[in-house]
Amino acid sequence: LKVAWANPLGAGSIIRLAAWGGEDMRLELAGPWSRGPVRETAMTERRFRRNFESLASIVAFVNEFFAAHGIRAEQANDVNLIIEELFTNMVKYSRESREDVAVGLEWNAPVITLKLEDFGVEPFDVTQPPPIDAAAKPGGLGLQLVQRMAESLDYRWANRVSTITATKRLDV
Amino acid sequence: MFEIQMVEPGQVRLSGRLDAAEAERTHAELGQVDGPLTVDCSELTYISSAGISVLMEIHKRLTKAGQAFILTGMTPRVRNVFRYAGLDRVLRIE
Repeated sequence: LKVAWANPLGAGSIIRLAAWGGEDMRLELAGPWSRGPVRETAMTERRFRRNFESLASIVAFVNEFFAAHGIRAEQANDVNLIIEELFTNMVKYSRESREDVAVGLEWNAPVITLKLEDFGVEPFDVTQPPPIDAAAKPGGLGLQLVQRMAESLDYRWANRVSTITATKRLDV
Repeated sequence: MFEIQMVEPGQVRLSGRLDAAEAERTHAELGQVDGPLTVDCSELTYISSAGISVLMEIHKRLTKAGQAFILTGMTPRVRNVFRYAGLDRVLRIE
């Protein structure tokens, strides 16, 4: 567990940790500086082998996450599509790595956040505008779909790790 | 689970999820068709860019040869993906 404080705690601050444990962890912080408990739902993360056969396991992971959070299953299609496009992009164009790809999901109704991490790779910024004839370029059509379907898309690369974070608002 | 059913000559039904893991098989099974082709998509629950690319390739090949390529019965969710891809006006979707 790593805890990074955006603001230093003042003297006399009280921190209460509650409902802690399991894969789907929830960290609750409460103290005199807040008007009420501040809740942060941690990301549920799993790693997948970098091949197309992993897609079935990723779909199962997403479905499981949706069921656990009471999100209607028919909402999963768009989420699966965004993940598939980003994941297959990593599989196809980051051939130098043999590391598994980490996929994370976080639910903060009505927004779901998706995070994919690719380890030991060169940068490939998926936020760049797709070419005009997107379908003719590597990964073009898939990235065009992601950019149109996701509410936000962020790309970072550091220490040979690509991190893509996307958000999608769902109908709840 | 993804299935390709040959309903009759020139007519195919796709059902389930057409993702990157199934694109190669779809290409192998439909890539040899050289006559007019109608694809029933009413039981297709999901399609990604990999699946769309296979259908686009068939579309280009058949239309170049003067043959019809028609997609029918798409659910709104699947059709939306074609719309996001900007291909709903390129392909013949009924």
